[in-house]
Amino acid sequence: MKQGSFYTLGYAGALGSVCALLLTAASSFTAPYRLANADAEMKRNILDVLGVRYSPDASSRQLLEVFAAKVKQEDSGELTLYRYIPPADSGEVETVAVAFAGPGLWGPIKGLIALGPDAETIRGLTFYEQEETPGLGGEIASQSFREQFEGKKIVDEAGNVGIIIKSGGQSAINKVDAITGATMTCDKVEVILNEAVRKIVKEFKK
Amino acid sequence: MTETSAIVILIAAILTNNILLTNFLGMCSFVACSGQIRTAVGLGIAVTFVLTMTTAINYAVYYGILISAEEAAELGRAAPLLSTDITHLSFIVFIAVIAAFVQLVEMFVERFSPRLYFALGIFLPLITVNCAILGASLFMVIRGYNFAQSVGFGFGAGVGWALAIILMAGLRQKMNYSNIPEPFRGVPIAMIVTCVIAMAFMGFAGMVAIQ
Amino acid sequence: MANSQPPLVPCSKGLCGGKGLLTLKEGAWSNNPLAIQMLGICSALAVTNRLESSLVMGAALIFVSACSNLFVSLLRKHTPHRIRMIAEVAIIATFVILFDQFLKAFYWDMSKQLGPYVGLIITNCIVMGRAEAFALQNPPLLSVVDGVANGLGYAVILAIIGFFRELFGTGQFFGCVVLGGEWYTPNQLMILAPGAFFALGIVIAIFNALRGPQGEENKK
Repeated sequence: MKQGSFYTLGYAGALGSVCALLLTAASSFTAPYRLANADAEMKRNILDVLGVRYSPDASSRQLLEVFAAKVKQEDSGELTLYRYIPPADSGEVETVAVAFAGPGLWGPIKGLIALGPDAETIRGLTFYEQEETPGLGGEIASQSFREQFEGKKIVDEAGNVGIIIKSGGQSAINKVDAITGATMTCDKVEVILNEAVRKIVKEFKK
Repeated sequence: MTETSAIVILIAAILTNNILLTNFLGMCSFVACSGQIRTAVGLGIAVTFVLTMTTAINYAVYYGILISAEEAAELGRAAPLLSTDITHLSFIVFIAVIAAFVQLVEMFVERFSPRLYFALGIFLPLITVNCAILGASLFMVIRGYNFAQSVGFGFGAGVGWALAIILMAGLRQKMNYSNIPEPFRGVPIAMIVTCVIAMAFMGFAGMVAIQ
Repeated sequence: MANSQPPLVPCSKGLCGGKGLLTLKEGAWSNNPLAIQMLGICSALAVTNRLESSLVMGAALIFVSACSNLFVSLLRKHTPHRIRMIAEVAIIATFVILFDQFLKAFYWDMSKQLGPYVGLIITNCIVMGRAEAFALQNPPLLSVVDGVANGLGYAVILAIIGFFRELFGTGQFFGCVVLGGEWYTPNQLMILAPGAFFALGIVIAIFNALRGPQGEENKK
């Protein structure tokens, strides 16, 4: 009987050790690739929101190269800015991207907002992480919702800082429509965006 | 991370984000359930208990042992036991915790309530491989819940799963008297009925109101 | 010279004791894990909203099932009876994590799409079921065949469901728009939860209809 218990324990220990060893080996082997992929994905999000063009099937390494060549990362006060200065004859506009993050309804909401050279006009918006209700709050990631932001400003005519996400009522240069049935998520997005917007305005008006 | 209160997450896990009807977890026992409401209730209670406890334990294990010291500092938490990142072992550790806990529950039930043990039969050890239990722990990590939210989520997920399985058992008892075409008998009609239940539950999405 | 044995060549007749083809057919068709045994439904519903993820999930299952069956079978005479379930889970979990790690390293986009459902293959009833029911009682090579066969049967059904869900849910095939935007409004319900249940129900019903009435072998 004792022999059986010893054997069982020894077997369990041996199996556990082999599995853990194998997994740790695989994890260290794949770590550089995985980290590069995660990094490339973040860079891809930044490139997308800045409107930088790149080959659709670019590999992680190529994305990192494009990013290193075209985008300048600056730390300015509380913010990390990603600045894209296009070549002089391309007809494109200088764009700056800022990351934002905050609590959503069911999980974190993280994204990037891109502004034009006046640091007021929104050139693009993207959400790269969100856990909102699919079909409702999840629609913030859809193109139709994000497209609304293009051309809008983060301050209104009177100089009030902030974006308003609300359906109905008077339209304004800093106002977009909310998603029907997703009031909660839109409210949270508004709070998160405005926190970033306040920091941006403080930084650029210095 | 999310600021939604634990109570809201609990209610949402039962109705709007039902772990079975929205995330498809725990389907195997759902399909295999005999159509007896009594068995479904017993199984539902067992799963709820295991879900709540293992989500809480896995929370402690993940943030107390598995994550690296840097990540803990980033999240504003106390330093974990080991400073290295061994989150690549989290699947194995979670399932080991679940298996151990179910084993404990089995021994406990056998000792203190042989009748319940006999009634649950094979279902008790099979709870270990119920996708909903591992899934709940994984979701807790992905969504970055704190402890209260994790417990609320685990409990709500269990109740939601139990609710779906009891509904299904009841409906299956009724379906025994219906004239269903041959190819649809058994699982296909159960799936289509679940489709309608899932659609109905989608209607709950609007009911979650936060202060 | 009189007792010259034929060389041991790995083929389904030789090393599998003649049962290789039968196991293959049974796993993939007559005892199809999804349609007949009704196992592994969780992932069948969760990842089939796109055809590509369905195929990757199918491939994952073939890999995990084959490898875990192999090792469970190799160790079957040494594994103490009391911890056999935990041992199976450990072996399965190892291969699932391996697959997950390599997916994250070399097919990142797919890893994000599949999310936690790759990890949930550990609790996939098919893999556990085959390890317990088949690999524990059968020689290694036959167990691998069984693992591959079940994985294949599962992958085919997943591909069919994924194809229809993506087609009707987004009008796309592998990401390319097939059903044009002007005359076809994508049925978003198909890519949400209810559509998954519905598609699975219909596919299994068709499978049952093709197989013919119970008890009859309908070779299709």
